[in-house]
Amino acid sequence: MKSKKITRRGVIKSGVATTVAVAAPTIWVPTIAASQSVNVWTYANFIPKDFKKEFEKETGIKIRERLVDDQGKEFNLLAAEKNNPTADICTVAGHRFSQFIDSELIAPLDTSRLKNWSTVNKIYSESDWSVVNGKKWGVPILSGAEVMGYNSDIVSKEEARSWDVMFGEKYKGQTALILQDMMSIVMLYLGYDGNMVAYLNDPAKAKSIVNEARDFLIKHKDKVRKYYDSGAEIQQMLINQDVVVCHAWSGSISKLIMDGFPAEMTIPKEGSYGFIYCYNIANNGPNTDNAYKFLDALLARPEIGANMTKASGYISTFKGSSKYLTDLERRTSSFTEEELAGLQFFRAEANKMKYSLVDPAVEVIKAA
Amino acid sequence: MPINNSRISASDSRGFWSWLSSNQSYHSVSLFLIGTHRKRFIFLAAVPILWALVANFAPLLKMLEISFYEAYPLSKGREIVYTLDNWVEFFLLNVYTIPFLRSIVFSIILTISTLILTYPIAYFLAQHLPKSKQLLYLLILLIPFWVGEIIRTYAIMILLGNRGLINLILQFFGLIEKPIPFMYTYFSLGIGIVYLTSLYMLLPLYSILEQIPKNLLEASADLGAGPWTRFWRVTLPLSKDGIASGCTLVFLISMGFYAAPVMLGGPSSTMFSETIAGHFNVAADRWPVGAAFSSIMLISTLVIAATFLKIMGRGGKGIIR
Repeated sequence: MKSKKITRRGVIKSGVATTVAVAAPTIWVPTIAASQSVNVWTYANFIPKDFKKEFEKETGIKIRERLVDDQGKEFNLLAAEKNNPTADICTVAGHRFSQFIDSELIAPLDTSRLKNWSTVNKIYSESDWSVVNGKKWGVPILSGAEVMGYNSDIVSKEEARSWDVMFGEKYKGQTALILQDMMSIVMLYLGYDGNMVAYLNDPAKAKSIVNEARDFLIKHKDKVRKYYDSGAEIQQMLINQDVVVCHAWSGSISKLIMDGFPAEMTIPKEGSYGFIYCYNIANNGPNTDNAYKFLDALLARPEIGANMTKASGYISTFKGSSKYLTDLERRTSSFTEEELAGLQFFRAEANKMKYSLVDPAVEVIKAA
Repeated sequence: MPINNSRISASDSRGFWSWLSSNQSYHSVSLFLIGTHRKRFIFLAAVPILWALVANFAPLLKMLEISFYEAYPLSKGREIVYTLDNWVEFFLLNVYTIPFLRSIVFSIILTISTLILTYPIAYFLAQHLPKSKQLLYLLILLIPFWVGEIIRTYAIMILLGNRGLINLILQFFGLIEKPIPFMYTYFSLGIGIVYLTSLYMLLPLYSILEQIPKNLLEASADLGAGPWTRFWRVTLPLSKDGIASGCTLVFLISMGFYAAPVMLGGPSSTMFSETIAGHFNVAADRWPVGAAFSSIMLISTLVIAATFLKIMGRGGKGIIR
């Protein structure tokens, strides 16, 4: 075979072609991204498929979903992108607002741009936690709780009335929990304030309480089959019967029940914590106008809220959405009066102190 | 060797190339940039080399830089402050050194296990199959690796779960009453990592073993060596380069695995990669600590791998040499 002669012309052509090929994505990718689209960072199934198709068809705006599964991870990703975020909307739990606000990652919500704002139930839209520094932040969309989930064929309702069942010998090696969130529940279980607001002015006391919760979880480490941190994981573990009782976010267990798996969830008598997920406008986002269009469309009809409940398992904050749910869906996404009496919401005031103590404690437990 | 430009003349027809060819500045510049073969290579390779440096080394350097920060990402009002605390933290607290040492020991055990499991397969492929069939069997072995790592890890979970295939078979035949809890233990993690990394051991071993001339083994048999002696005194020493490459690859990969330990491991089998990830997952200015730990892991694994290669290199002289 004759070897091809390298000519000057060939060198120039290939050099230019290579440069164009390498540089091209840096030109067309941002161009495409900046065109008709809205970038939403959210949890799995928070945007109903039907709504997505309808919105994209009616407005021509493409919804680009980026899945997140943890508030801490989302914060870090946004902080790393700070001046040029790729998100237009991010999902922030109400008790995490101050952290995102202090770092200027989210923008205040201009409710005058949302003609369907009144769809949100006033319990959520007019609540104290949604106003920080005199401004409103985020559209509340879904409400959830830290619950005990269990296989109802194996664990009885009476056993599930107390967090004791997670630390007993009967289900040793058949439990799972989300370590960081469980620290707050263990503090509550031990009789303390899991929000740590009561110890804001007493850091030494806060530290000793965290250490007590940490040591408690280390003592009972042998009862735990798995520390996990995503809803899909606990669903898989329950289905495979790798675990029969767990600490979980209510949405994951609710979805399992809706899908016919023999699972139940409860708020044990010692109590637990609730949270509200909100869609927040990202600061300096590339498509803020499209973000408001998306939010307004989402709030247009209560049945969209019902579809979000059906897809995610969490309770919709939209007025009148429950009448679009079946009896099973309504049952699985709600709690009894007795359970609600033990439910308090996560609060943000002591988060900085709390997580500076809890996060290292979590590493100690994992390494123990 | 200079480019022969004697065929370029001012009498070329119109057009951009004609104008360029007759331009003196262009000739001077092109002679400077691509006047020799060496210069032409550098000119063409500059962009890909730059890309490799930027894509691979620049992030590592950035990570090293962040490891000396007090906080990152910087929240409002904070400035960069340099500190050694993140590196010191690793050595001060045994909650970090324990998973680190555990990961090293576990990776070494897994590497040896992978070698023991894949060596016979590579030997069979290279020495016992006819050349015409080797490629086919190799492709058949490669098929699972066409699927992504996460999917293959899920396959292990389906196999080993309480209602997985193995437990179902054992219960069907009445061998067990309750499922055996394979998952979320060192066992499931070990099986998973050996499965995921076996290709990286198999291919280097195969490529070395298939180069061993059969007449060497025939000659040693003629001299009275039995099968075991032939293996120990001929085949194994000649395959040391493959063993070294395979073991290095598997060790480095298994030390850095994150998805498999998260999906297959349990509370008592936390690998160091999970500890590092924990620092990046929490919103508490822990990225610099994670970066320091990543740097420590990178340096340690490279030192261990280099030491191993050096040892294997000293003992790697084959009979042929």
